[in-house]
Amino acid sequence: MAMMPEQEIVTKEKQQVQGTEATRPGRYYVPDVDICEYPDKLMLWADMPGVSEKNVEVMLKDNNLTLTGTVSPGPYNNLSPLYTEYNVGNYFRQFALNEDVANPGFKRNA
Amino acid sequence: MALIRFDTFDPFSNLLSLQQELERFARNPAFNLGPSGYGAYPPINVFEDHDGTVIIAELPGLDPSKIQIAGQGRTLTLRGERKREEGLNPSGYHRRERPFGEFSRSIQLSSEIDMSKATAKYEAGVLMLKVPKAETAKPRQIMVDAA
Repeated sequence: MAMMPEQEIVTKEKQQVQGTEATRPGRYYVPDVDICEYPDKLMLWADMPGVSEKNVEVMLKDNNLTLTGTVSPGPYNNLSPLYTEYNVGNYFRQFALNEDVANPGFKRNA
Repeated sequence: MALIRFDTFDPFSNLLSLQQELERFARNPAFNLGPSGYGAYPPINVFEDHDGTVIIAELPGLDPSKIQIAGQGRTLTLRGERKREEGLNPSGYHRRERPFGEFSRSIQLSSEIDMSKATAKYEAGVLMLKVPKAETAKPRQIMVDAA
């Protein structure tokens, strides 16, 4: 009998962004995030598969942190779909920060 | 065969066309993936191109060298583990939404595959796997002899 993994990863269905309507048609999804607290900073990790580093935008205005990720449909050109389990779209998420945060920096990690 | 083809240079209309095409084939009941169907990790999309099958899986945050891909007959297996970043030691979490752990998913394709010619590319958290059909699974044309 094969050994079961200690912790099995679970699929979560992508959630579409609600409440904000973009002028361009198309789906926007909510990226999964982890936000870690440190004495001197907050660190945020976001899963945005399909978004390359240059297409991630991080903006801080009036203590609102906005993350936007733009996907490229290029890899799908000339493919013929047979079966799909997830859709592809840009990512958008916004947080109201409690702390005074200055100069957000970001580093992409796959 | 419905083909995704981007005829314009407008990325927004290209993305909308792609979303509509992917929606049309959502959990297509005519395509039998075998026992490891919808809900297993990682989520996959299956396509066809002129060489064979193309599988695209969203696998963010993985070390590509740790993704194991194996195939035999008509079955393809993806295995791996997503580990939390080491050495961070935060004093607390405000959000913990990203999934971590091990995964193993075997899918059954519609024809025999040739793993010796398969290629895999991992970019921006997306795995693209191209698996050609085995020679024995490719259609053959025969000549008709005149009597």
